[in-house]
Amino acid sequence: MIEIHGLTKRVPTSEGVLTILNSVDLSIAEAETVAIVGASGSGKSTLLGLMAGLDAATSGDVLLGGHSLAAMDEEQRAVLRGQIVGFVFQSFQLLPSLTALENVMLPIELKGDAQARAKATALLERVGLAERITHYPNQLSGGEQQRVAIARAFATEAKILFADEPTGNLDTATGAKIVELIFDLNKEFSTTLVLVTHDERLAERCGRIVRLIAGEIESDSGAPLGAASNKADMSESAESASA
Amino acid sequence: MPNTPTSSTHAPNLNIGGSDSSSQPSLQPLGDGSKSWSTLIGLASRLLWRDWRSGELRLLFLALVMAVTSVSGIALFTDRLEKALLLESANMLAADRVLGSGKVLPDDILDEAQTRGLRTASTLSFTSMAFSDSGNMLVSAKAVSDTYPLRGDVIIADAPFIRGAPIQSGPQPGEVWLESRALPALGLEVGDSVYVGEAELTVSKIIIAEPDRSGGGMVDNAGPRLMLHLDDVAKTNVVQLGSRVSYRFLFAAEELLALDEFESWVDTEYEGEYRLRDVRDESEEVSEALSRAESFLLLGSLFAVLLAGVAIALTAKRYSERHYDYVAILKTFGCTSPQIGFIYLWIQALLAIVAVVVGSVLGWGVHHIILRALQTVITVELPAAGFEPFVVGAMTAVICLLSFALPPLLALRETPPLRVLRKDISQQKVGANVPYVFGIGGTIGLVYWYSQDAVLTSVLVVAVASIAILLSGLSFLLLSSSSAVGMRAGSAWKLAMSAARRRRKQNVLQVMVFSVTIMSLLILGLLRTDLIADWQAQLPENTPNHFMMNISQPQIAGIEEFFEENGVQGNAFYPLISARVTKVNGATPDPQEDLDSDAERGTLAGGGDDAEDESAKGAARVGLSVGYGQGETNAAGSGAGSGNESSASEAGDETEEGEVRGRLSRRQVTWAAELPADNRVTGGEWWEATVEPGFVSIEQDYADWLDIELGDVIEFEINAQTVSAEVSSFRSVRWDNMQPNFFIIFSPGTIDHLGATFLSTALMEREQKILLNELVQRFPTIVVIEIDALIEQIQNIIAQVTSAIELISVLVLVCGALVLLACVNATLDERFYENAILRTLGAGKRLIMTSLLIEFASIGLMAGLVATLGAEASLYYLQEQVFEQEFALHYWVWLAGPLAGMIIIGGLGVNSTRGVVNISPLNVLRRLN
Repeated sequence: MIEIHGLTKRVPTSEGVLTILNSVDLSIAEAETVAIVGASGSGKSTLLGLMAGLDAATSGDVLLGGHSLAAMDEEQRAVLRGQIVGFVFQSFQLLPSLTALENVMLPIELKGDAQARAKATALLERVGLAERITHYPNQLSGGEQQRVAIARAFATEAKILFADEPTGNLDTATGAKIVELIFDLNKEFSTTLVLVTHDERLAERCGRIVRLIAGEIESDSGAPLGAASNKADMSESAESASA
Repeated sequence: MPNTPTSSTHAPNLNIGGSDSSSQPSLQPLGDGSKSWSTLIGLASRLLWRDWRSGELRLLFLALVMAVTSVSGIALFTDRLEKALLLESANMLAADRVLGSGKVLPDDILDEAQTRGLRTASTLSFTSMAFSDSGNMLVSAKAVSDTYPLRGDVIIADAPFIRGAPIQSGPQPGEVWLESRALPALGLEVGDSVYVGEAELTVSKIIIAEPDRSGGGMVDNAGPRLMLHLDDVAKTNVVQLGSRVSYRFLFAAEELLALDEFESWVDTEYEGEYRLRDVRDESEEVSEALSRAESFLLLGSLFAVLLAGVAIALTAKRYSERHYDYVAILKTFGCTSPQIGFIYLWIQALLAIVAVVVGSVLGWGVHHIILRALQTVITVELPAAGFEPFVVGAMTAVICLLSFALPPLLALRETPPLRVLRKDISQQKVGANVPYVFGIGGTIGLVYWYSQDAVLTSVLVVAVASIAILLSGLSFLLLSSSSAVGMRAGSAWKLAMSAARRRRKQNVLQVMVFSVTIMSLLILGLLRTDLIADWQAQLPENTPNHFMMNISQPQIAGIEEFFEENGVQGNAFYPLISARVTKVNGATPDPQEDLDSDAERGTLAGGGDDAEDESAKGAARVGLSVGYGQGETNAAGSGAGSGNESSASEAGDETEEGEVRGRLSRRQVTWAAELPADNRVTGGEWWEATVEPGFVSIEQDYADWLDIELGDVIEFEINAQTVSAEVSSFRSVRWDNMQPNFFIIFSPGTIDHLGATFLSTALMEREQKILLNELVQRFPTIVVIEIDALIEQIQNIIAQVTSAIELISVLVLVCGALVLLACVNATLDERFYENAILRTLGAGKRLIMTSLLIEFASIGLMAGLVATLGAEASLYYLQEQVFEQEFALHYWVWLAGPLAGMIIIGGLGVNSTRGVVNISPLNVLRRLN
């Protein structure tokens, strides 16, 4: 589902060019669950951004769902994101002027789906927010906001879900519930999950852990250990990637 | 509804850039074709509605509505006022346009006008003696055609000195209408016969007033009116070759365009020989009041549009800043840049449409409020407003949006989606200045579109730009002076100063916007005060409204006594004598070629003897030309060689040579011990009471024109004698005050012995007018000129434009307030955030509020100071160049401006930010997250 070859990201700074990612190779199979872990500044969020097509690499390429991101401009990447990618962010990234329902409807509407309202309502019910669909983000707790964000991420029936520190802004108990929800939905929708975290316990929930240090892959647990339930759905490419 | 997982490893095909693969399912950008646009429209509309609901758009919308309201309101009002004033002024002419000449006008012009569907009338004015069995007197005869008057009414009565009734016609053939005071002088009653030349005519009515009396020249004001039918003129046999006569064609039409087209036809057909005139040509006072008011309204609406534009720019910038995250998320979910652009275009289009509708309705309301306020002064029924003002309002909204709001919103397209992961990634640096380029371009376009005047546009643009640069430099310097580091949260004062310094860049912008706003308001406010004061000074309430001429020395005491007996307020008696400059320092005078406008005006006002006949300067000139020329004309009969020159003057194509001759020709001079009121000595000194004879005081522009200097000896020819006098002073004269004014005043004793008649003025109320009869009975040789109706008309018009100016000032004030609010709000988030953190760290409410107050108040103080500076500089230019007023520093403003800035900005700022101490810091931080 995701193929990364020699991915490098460098940015100019006042003290010269800074290499954030250095020639990273990685392959993630369909329906695989992958945690990218590492210390602050190790380049994990950058890797996530590049994999999701939110940014352009300095060199190397990402094949997302078979499409080379390097060959695309931002407009084409946007179209691709809209079709096959979903996101969950640490800071939720809900639009403050939209209600919970409207936030979830947004990506469905963007796809031109006339059933936006019904689908969004069903998803919000699924994440346990049936009573709060007309609330605005600032009327919701952090956990509730993240639930809305998760509902939104799954709203377009995306093939790949990228999650950036999804529990980073939440307390342990709430975070645990959110993690459950993400994995439950991931299973239901058979989504490929790529998760950035520095929470080792959360990483353990994933089938595979990729550890980054200073922009390079320090270790890759390879075979998806914690993804037994998804094993049947895994493709050959996942196995070949781990080889 | 979980998806059935697919095990396919085929990549979905992206249908981007034309590549397609029929074997694989294709991914379309946002659904397909038309559906995606309708989705976007729906999305944009919902975004608009949600933003509206959350209050984010309100200020932008308000600014737009304000722009449309003020512009369409002002346009509607001026449109209708202009039409009303045209109507009212048309009454002063008895027509919409007049063509006058001292020689016979070609009938082809009348025929052409009729062919074009214009209504026409003709009149013929001449001075003549009227005879009765018991007496005779000089009358101003006017023969009119059947259709006279085209506009306004003739007021007639069955007996003299009573209130009359309006009628829209002149006398029938065989009849004459006489002015009240002619009847006692001629010993006539209604029904009696009167002889004009060889014709015997019946006095059928008394003429109380006629619409275009004031618009006439000397032949219309030489004596009481005698109106007859045009067909009877031939019978009188009075009008012959070389007679002093005034031919007039009158035209009226319901469509202004028809008149304009006809006017250009006349101009082309007769190669400029004949020129149609409207009231602006006829009355300089009205025309000046109107054009000043128009300049003011134009300036006012320009300021309103500019300020609304700045408010739109500021609010749009803040709106777009708040939408970075929006756009980043939209992009994350697959929105492309063109789609983002479309969404925000659509939002703006909807916003514009609603703002135009609301603004137009409000504009209509505003103009109605003005009209209601003015109903006592606007006496004519106002013509319906056209559609144009609404178009002007709508165009303003569109141009404002395009130039001020569109650029920052379109820049949103460039928001990188990575912002969802990293907040610190901000807008693209490229094109950051594009909004300013658009804004400046749009502003220049708007100003030009409004003024239709490239010169005014460039002057305004250059002025505002240089003021802006100056102001920003100045405020930057002022704000840079503090060198403290950090927040310095120890005291409110230090905290405020460090905050001002930290936000130096925004603050410079704020001070600039505040300054320009306060400056606009000051300029308009001061200009308004000065204009109104100027008008009131021009025609104060007790302005004398009757001129008496041809008074002999022995009659003065009697007339004074008569006025005293009857409670009439009389004034000084000015001797009048006809004089001609023959030599300056022993040499023939060599006038300058360049005609200074004031000098020209003065000359025309004064009128040489041979040019004054139909001075074509209308209403007020009656009084003035009387002051200079008529007395002599009456005493000495027709001026020499008047026929040709008068017609040349009438046709408006007087050659320069003719003008020079006119200036050097005879003019009425006087002598006086005291400097006349409204005159100001501009050089030398006015003489003491004990002055010796042999000195003369010259009007400044006239002196400049003749290149006369103090101490020069000028030789005059007066009544065939030569008189020399030394120039001891120069004076400026207020030509528009409708009082006797003189180019040349001698010191007492210089020309007293040469024989003069006297001129005086008096204020007679309406109910005192019957006294005129007794006055002319007691002093049959004097000539009375009534300008009361004219003064009333001018005062009416001035009252109207004054009210209009007041209202425009209020509208601009509202726009200014909006800008101030928008500007304060523009930096609100940052202040909220900083102060929330300060509160979190333990700063008290009092410390924060005091510091905010100090910060805003000092910004306000600075803005007020620079605004005052800028306002005085602009006023100097505007008053001297555009409004032709004399500039004087407004000392009180130097205190009031900075103080007002401090109070207004301080109040507004604290009011807008007080939420920071009333909402819990957590809420503030959450709200801003």
